[in-house]
Amino acid sequence: MRAFAQSIVESVRHPLVLLDAGLRVSAANSAFHAAFGVPDVEAPGRPRFALDAGWLDIPGLLERVERVATTGQPFEGFEVEHDLAGAGPKALRLNARRVVSDEDGTPMILVAVEDVTDKRRAEAALHRLNDELEARVRERTAQLEAANREMEAFCYSVSHDLRAPLRAIDGFAQELLRTYADRVDDRGRHYLTRVRAGSQRMAGLIDDLLQLSRLSRVEMTWGSVDLSALATAVVADLRHLHPDRQVTFVLQPGVTARGDAGLLRVALENLLGNAWKFTSKKTDATVTFGQQGGEAGFYVRDDGAGFDPAFAGKLFGAFQRLHHDRDFPGTGIGLATVQRVAHRHGGTVRAEGAVGQGATFYFTLPPGDDA
Amino acid sequence: MSQKVILLIEDNSDDEELALLAFQRSNVANDVVVARDGVEALDYLFGTGPHAGRDVSILPQVVLLDLKLPKVDGLEVLRRVRADPRTRRLPVVVLTSSKEEEDMIGSYDLGANSYVRKPVEFERFVEAVKQLQLYWLVLNEPPPNR
Repeated sequence: MRAFAQSIVESVRHPLVLLDAGLRVSAANSAFHAAFGVPDVEAPGRPRFALDAGWLDIPGLLERVERVATTGQPFEGFEVEHDLAGAGPKALRLNARRVVSDEDGTPMILVAVEDVTDKRRAEAALHRLNDELEARVRERTAQLEAANREMEAFCYSVSHDLRAPLRAIDGFAQELLRTYADRVDDRGRHYLTRVRAGSQRMAGLIDDLLQLSRLSRVEMTWGSVDLSALATAVVADLRHLHPDRQVTFVLQPGVTARGDAGLLRVALENLLGNAWKFTSKKTDATVTFGQQGGEAGFYVRDDGAGFDPAFAGKLFGAFQRLHHDRDFPGTGIGLATVQRVAHRHGGTVRAEGAVGQGATFYFTLPPGDDA
Repeated sequence: MSQKVILLIEDNSDDEELALLAFQRSNVANDVVVARDGVEALDYLFGTGPHAGRDVSILPQVVLLDLKLPKVDGLEVLRRVRADPRTRRLPVVVLTSSKEEEDMIGSYDLGANSYVRKPVEFERFVEAVKQLQLYWLVLNEPPPNR
C-alpha cells in the first residue's frame, strides 16, 4: 500500500514533500528533489533535512507549517518568490495539510509546491500589454479628437469662407445684368447667366458636402425606428413639392429597424428622392419600399431610368454621377450619404439595375430586437 | 419718429457692398452704419474709442451681426451687448453664412432676436433683406428707450 501511494506521489509533477511531526523531511518525490536541489533523503547514509535547516528559507513558511501541525487547519495558495537551486527566482504557490499515516497513525504534513512562474510571468506580460494597449488607445483617441476638431474647423470655414466669394460672384453678376442691361448684349447676358449658375451650383455642392460631413460627426441616438412611417412622411413631402407628378408608391407597412431616426430619415430621403427623380421621364412611375425576408435587408425600387451595372461601383462615391446634369440634375452626393448612414450603423449598401429598367437600392442594418 | 440707423457689423467688403445694394433695392431709408469688426461695433454702441462722445442713448433700430469677425467675434459682441443694461434689449439679427448648429444655438442662447443665413443667390439675399426691413423697421415695435 505504501509503495502504491508512493508511486502515485512520485508520478505527480509538482514538488511534494511529507514532513514528520518534527518538521523533518520524511519523504519527497523526485520533482521536489529536482526543484530544491535537495539530495535524496531516502538514500542510505544521508541525513534527513529539517525544514528549518535553511534550504527552504522562505519567510513565513515555517510558521504556517507549524500552525498546520498544531491546529490541523490546512493552508492554500501561499505565494512566494523563491530562489530555487540552479533555477533562479521562481514564483511558488504552496499548500499544506495534515495527513495521517496509514501504518502507525502518526500525523504528518503534506506540503505541495506549485511553480506558477510562467503563469505569473504571462499574467504580468498580459498586464503590461493591457497597459500599453490602453495607453495606445488613449493616444489614438486624442489623435482622433484632434482630427475631429480640425475637421470641425475645416467645415466651419467651408460653410463660412467658401460661400462668401460665391455670394460676391452671384451678387455682382446679377447687379451687372440688372443695372447695365442696356450695355450688355445677349452673348454677355448668356455668360453672366452661366457665371451665376456656376456659383449657385457650387453653393449647392458645398451644402451637400457639409451635410455629408455632418452625418459623420453627429452623435447617434439608437432606438426603434418605424421605417414605414418615415418613408410615408418622406413621400408626403415629395408629393407636396411636386404635385404635378404621378407616382405610385407601394410602401410595406410595419417595417421597423434599430438605428438613429434622424440618420435613417436622411437615407430614405435620398433613396426615395432619387427614385422620384429618376422616374421623372415616365408618366406613371412606381416606387416600392419594403424589407426582404430573412435578414434585415431593406430596399427602395423604382422603374425609372436605371443605370449601367458596369458602373455600379461608382454609384456610392461622393460626386460620382452616372447621368448628365441636363437629364437628371444633382450633385452626386445622395448615394454617398446613404452609404455613410448605413456604414455608421454597421450596415451595407448595394444597387441593382440596368439602363431603362429601373433600379433597386438595398441597405442592411444590424439586426436588433426590433428588426 | 426720427429715423434710427441700422448697424451692420460685417468684415467682408463684398458682403458689405451687397448688403448696401440690397438695402437700396428694398428702399430702406435708414442710414446704415458699418462696423468692420467686433471692436468697432462695441466702440460705436458704447461710445468708446473713435466714437467717444457719441450719444449712446440713441440706439440703432436693429443690429445685423455677422458671426465670424476679426478681433472680437460676433457671439462675443452679442454677449457684451446683452450684458450691458443700455443695450440688452437692442434687437440683434444674426446674419451669417454659417448653418452650424453650435452657431445657431450659441446665438439664441445669448439672446439673438433672429438668425438669418445669407443665401448665395443674390435675389434671395435681397428678398431676405426686404423681409428683415419690413419686420424690424416697420412691423416690430422697438423696446422703449429707457
